[in-house]
Amino acid sequence: MLFNFREKLNSGKFLITAELSPPKGVNVSAILADASQLKGHVDAFNVTDNQCSIMHMSSLAFSKLLLDEGHEVIMQLTCRDRNRIGLQSDLLGAYALGVRNICVMTGDFPSCGDHPGSKPVYDLDSVQLLELVHRLNSGIDFAENRLDGETSFCTGAVSGIDPENILQLIKLEKKVRCGVDFIQTQAVYDVGIFEEFIESVNCLGVPIIAGLIPLKSLKMAEYMNKNISGVHVPEEIMVRMKKSSSPLEEGLLIASETIQELKKLSRGVHIMPIGSHKNTRKLLSMSGFSLKPE
Amino acid sequence: MILTSAKPFEEILEFLKDEDKIFVIGCNVCAAKLKTGGEPEVLEMCRRLEESGKNVVGWALPTAACSIRSYESLLEKNEKLKEALCVLVMGCGSGVSTVAKVVDLPVYGSNNTLSLGGSSMGQMLGDQCAMCGDCTISEFGGLCPAAQCPKGLLNGPCGGAVEGKCEIDREKDCVWALIYERLKKIHRLDLLYTIHEPKEHAFK
Repeated sequence: MLFNFREKLNSGKFLITAELSPPKGVNVSAILADASQLKGHVDAFNVTDNQCSIMHMSSLAFSKLLLDEGHEVIMQLTCRDRNRIGLQSDLLGAYALGVRNICVMTGDFPSCGDHPGSKPVYDLDSVQLLELVHRLNSGIDFAENRLDGETSFCTGAVSGIDPENILQLIKLEKKVRCGVDFIQTQAVYDVGIFEEFIESVNCLGVPIIAGLIPLKSLKMAEYMNKNISGVHVPEEIMVRMKKSSSPLEEGLLIASETIQELKKLSRGVHIMPIGSHKNTRKLLSMSGFSLKPE
Repeated sequence: MILTSAKPFEEILEFLKDEDKIFVIGCNVCAAKLKTGGEPEVLEMCRRLEESGKNVVGWALPTAACSIRSYESLLEKNEKLKEALCVLVMGCGSGVSTVAKVVDLPVYGSNNTLSLGGSSMGQMLGDQCAMCGDCTISEFGGLCPAAQCPKGLLNGPCGGAVEGKCEIDREKDCVWALIYERLKKIHRLDLLYTIHEPKEHAFK
């Protein structure tokens, strides 16, 4: 019996994680219900940290609410809003509250979100934040003061999947050097390109969890191609989305086919639907996973 | 060079609304070059203020507003300063602060201070240096990511860069793409593999 995410990472199991965004406000019931219908079908919920720089309830608080409901969580942590004191303080607090898995990233610039004039912090970048976590896990803080009780985080980082993007590959290599337990990627639509990416990073020896955003419309696919770094929706998928009379269904079918292929290439898949997880059960079922009745 | 931009005239009028007997001080270095505080701009400011019913008692153009020896040295430029009840400085924030240090009158600034930049081949270059006091620019081929990346990332670009353009301004080059080209040109791509520690923001 596998219990926690780290143990699952170390096993041969194909992992499924699902992204959850905390509410914008204090009403948590709808999102907790969204999580609860996936209980037992995903290996962890990945809780966003004010994604797209849009102010939401903290990732730490919502992670704790999920833990209280018996879910496994991966708390996201960005460099955007806290200096090294704030980051460490939140990490210690998160660990004391039961958070064992984190995923660190730079974070979108404030001007992308709903408080565009807020001060961007970025005291550390994502590579340096990984080093910080490594120190907390070793029983010292970033300034090398001894801690009264160390953390033991299972730590993830993120990466794009463009095998031609040398700067991104070098940055990924730096992240691995600082110590990561898993990498979660940008959304995969072109499995061929993803395979090339996997070949170029295999030498790093770190489990890769492939990102997945089911398409809902042709417009969404066009938006992804135009605006999201490293995301490439291939022409064949664009044509399928264009021709389909039910683009939502087609998007799920494409995603399920992608998951089938990813089973051979990655250690898992991270599902990040736009909106709620109301179609995630269906997607998992279409992808060949057996589900318990709701 | 300190880059500045002129505030809208209406904003200047608004903060001067209860002031009279204004003395205008320009700056003959950066602000003059940027046309935000050289002689023509100072004269134009005096004209517009008077046109708006303000009483301008005089003006002066020190070599640099950020380098003023004393109150007396300003008086040497124009004795009319004695009659003034307030001063409007057409320089950068440092110029305004320096004038405030030697003049015991309310002091106002007519510009917004943008960055430590430069100019080359007819082009204004913004954010060339973050003045962090902990310089490692040579490790990036002479281009500072702390200054030129909006996030100040020292270990490579963020995931928001698209085809060498910045996440927050698709018209702007991602400095990491420029650093890559520069290091390639000087045969130092090996520098890209260095893990950089964060900047030390110790009080200077």
